[in-house]
Amino acid sequence: MWGKGILNGMRITMRNMLRGPITVRYPYERVTLPERARWAVEVVRDESGAHKCTACMTCVRACPDHILDLQFTTAEDKSKHIDYLRYEMGACMMCGLCVEACPFDALKMGQDYELAKLTRDELTVDLLVDVAAAAPARAKKASEVPAGGTDDSRGGGTDG
Amino acid sequence: MTEPHFTVTESGLMTPEGMYIPGEPPKGIRRIPKGVDRLGTEHLIVNMGPQHPSTHGVLHLIVELDGEEVVTVEVSIGFLHRGIEKLAESRRFDHLGTLMDRGDYVSVIHGEQAVALAVEKLMEIEVPAKAAWIRTLTAELTRLASHLVWFGTFGLDTGAMGQFLYAMRDREVLLDILEEISGQRMMFNYVRPGGVVADLPTGIESRILSFCDTFEVYLEEHDALLGGNEIFQARVKGIGVVSKETALAFGLTGANLRASGLGFDVRRDRPYDAYPELEFDIPIGTIGDSWDRYTVRMEEMRQSLRMIRQLVGGMPGGPFTAKVPKVLRPPAGEVYASVESSRGETGIHLFTDGGTTPYRMHYRAASLFTCQLFEEILPGHLFADACMLLGSFDIMLGEVDR
Amino acid sequence: MSPELASLLRILAAVGLMLMNGVILIYMLRRVLGRLHQRLGPVHVGPQGLLQTPMDVLKLLTKEDITPTNVDKALYFIAPAAVFTPSLMAYAAIPFSPTWMVTDLDTGLLYTLVVMSLVSMGLLMAGWASANKWSLIGGMRSVGQHIAYEIPLLLSVLPVVMYVGTLNLSSIVEAQSGTWLGILPQWFITNPLFWPAFIIFIVSALIKVNQTPFDMSEAESELVAGFATEYSSMKFGLFFLSEFSNSFIVSALAVTLFFGGWTLPFVPDEVLAPIAPVVFMLKVYVGIFVLMWIRGTLPRVRMDHLMQFAWKILIPAVLTWILVFGFIIKLFDLGRPVG
Repeated sequence: MWGKGILNGMRITMRNMLRGPITVRYPYERVTLPERARWAVEVVRDESGAHKCTACMTCVRACPDHILDLQFTTAEDKSKHIDYLRYEMGACMMCGLCVEACPFDALKMGQDYELAKLTRDELTVDLLVDVAAAAPARAKKASEVPAGGTDDSRGGGTDG
Repeated sequence: MTEPHFTVTESGLMTPEGMYIPGEPPKGIRRIPKGVDRLGTEHLIVNMGPQHPSTHGVLHLIVELDGEEVVTVEVSIGFLHRGIEKLAESRRFDHLGTLMDRGDYVSVIHGEQAVALAVEKLMEIEVPAKAAWIRTLTAELTRLASHLVWFGTFGLDTGAMGQFLYAMRDREVLLDILEEISGQRMMFNYVRPGGVVADLPTGIESRILSFCDTFEVYLEEHDALLGGNEIFQARVKGIGVVSKETALAFGLTGANLRASGLGFDVRRDRPYDAYPELEFDIPIGTIGDSWDRYTVRMEEMRQSLRMIRQLVGGMPGGPFTAKVPKVLRPPAGEVYASVESSRGETGIHLFTDGGTTPYRMHYRAASLFTCQLFEEILPGHLFADACMLLGSFDIMLGEVDR
Repeated sequence: MSPELASLLRILAAVGLMLMNGVILIYMLRRVLGRLHQRLGPVHVGPQGLLQTPMDVLKLLTKEDITPTNVDKALYFIAPAAVFTPSLMAYAAIPFSPTWMVTDLDTGLLYTLVVMSLVSMGLLMAGWASANKWSLIGGMRSVGQHIAYEIPLLLSVLPVVMYVGTLNLSSIVEAQSGTWLGILPQWFITNPLFWPAFIIFIVSALIKVNQTPFDMSEAESELVAGFATEYSSMKFGLFFLSEFSNSFIVSALAVTLFFGGWTLPFVPDEVLAPIAPVVFMLKVYVGIFVLMWIRGTLPRVRMDHLMQFAWKILIPAVLTWILVFGFIIKLFDLGRPVG
């Protein structure tokens, strides 16, 4: 009979009404992100706060949107000093390719999803500023030979 | 179809009436109402879009109306052009996925899959069974998510807001699952040449299966709510009939083609990944009206559910990616690979010169072919039906404009 | 109190009621639609989001009033008033209780229906004056649907009038007090003789209130916002308010004609007298909830289907029914004229 489907539709909406709202009231309630959730890029730090970046430029080359900018100077003893590792968060599409590319696991995708900023300048994040680059080969040696490394102190610089 | 409006000469654009003067509308383009009808009333030209609620993105239709009846339609596209094909020429092969994500941004995995298949064909990489199954699983989950968007917006086009929100409710669960698998909700960047980025997370199988159980009920509810409604049936049955010949002439693929009664499906006819091992039916319509397109897509969702159950149940073990070099360097050559995306055949035509980036990438987008059909199909329908028709074809402007 | 002052106070009360109703109904619509769609609706401003609509009204009042360049200025300004005033006038004859009404018109039913039919003129004005093609199409559609459904709406209430023998709304309500054999309330809806009339009344009334499934005149997925596209600030607010007040009037008419108005069965008159307005309002709000429920469920009808339905099915059907109904009450002497 004509109209049966309409009445059935009314029944379905009423049933949905009785199921109750499913809204997550965001600022008061939060969903837990899955482990793999990819948000803004962060620098991995160990317990002492040391980063692992060796200024090898792999991430900069991997980024499809060219938004990572790494400037470093090489000293006479071949050790590198990172002037800055700059990250244009506003242009980042969070594809995670830089993290995948990093051979030293120095980068990770963060889980902070509240990335809105008040000014445009805040979208440019300096991940590392004026720190010495970690030296992977020597760090490895240091782990093998406990008394080895003097570079550890250099690794723990502060960033912006 | 219509003659080209201009010819390019050294002195500028020439129209049949003479030189084209910038600032004036070119003479060949129908901006002036074509004429008066038998009542002696003037036709009305409305610009539908690019900011119109039911053009699903930034499609611009210049519609000439006689009262409420559509007389002519001119489709104008390109508002979302980002030069994906050109950008691809500067992207490494394993990074092409990030571009394809932004092509058809609702059925994302399919674009990534097409690129991955093309590169694998070129480099003759053997994909491990598990990788193929995971890809197929995510592809079917994405197809469900994409069809839910179509279902919701189709409901919205008819003026029923409930359908949209119910569809989004179910899509939300799907996106949560896909986020758990890939790390993002829409731009997954999960499928790579050689396999996938990461294995399935532990415990996802039970989550997918419990979604299947609840969604099976909800899907029938959706179908009863919209498809069972007599008002809706009266509005879609017999509207926008696309004959087999028209569908073939315009190169339609996917559900739009199958609604016209032609059973071409890339999943079955040019099988890839795990599809040869799956059992599924290809729903086929009869006359190709909006109702057929609706029923075909609803049935496709049921088939997707069926496939997802098989995929989760029979997931093989083994590595999730083949051994591929860090920087892919396919041999010089040319390859075409296509997948069945939610909107039809999504194809990638790659030309390589032996370098790390493609020499040229062509992206075959099914929606572009559907868009061309509008100029043929819409005239003669009422304006209200025109909006419904746009909804029934399920076009994605990100894919059309690239 | 002089009669002039009394009527002035009554009119002011009607205006106040209409404005209050608008605010309450918008809040109710948001909550009901939200729940129907498994959402929450407004919850932030005030307790349970109660202050959301007052704040929205404030926003509308303080917004810049934009007048587009090419509009027909006079009509553009008159149109919101031409829509708003009839919906306000329709409150005049609605009996909230035996004593609570603006004026007890002998032709109350006719008056209400006539006044409500003026609304479509304002909508056409708005559509024409806006100098916008979407508005124009919306205005034309609205006139088409209103004219087509004016007739079945008027005819569908005729059985009630024939039965009761009066157009006075409070007399119609009084005719529905008491019970059938002490079981069912003696409302006309419990009498199967009135069911066809009621169905036709509901369908035509839904079209009067311009809501889904019959919101073609402002179909947001086709016509952007229809006749209201170019309106902003409180001018838009007036359209909005009039729409909600129309749904109140329609629901109130349905309650008055078919659901016994303020009467309640099994309740003695002395108890009912003080709570009559409350009873009436409750019934009306239940009716409005059903309207919202329909709005949250159904897709939109196409214009030509609607017209065909009106002229080819509804009008012949209602004319036939009036004839049949007339014969029945004459043959079996069922009519119970009041007064």
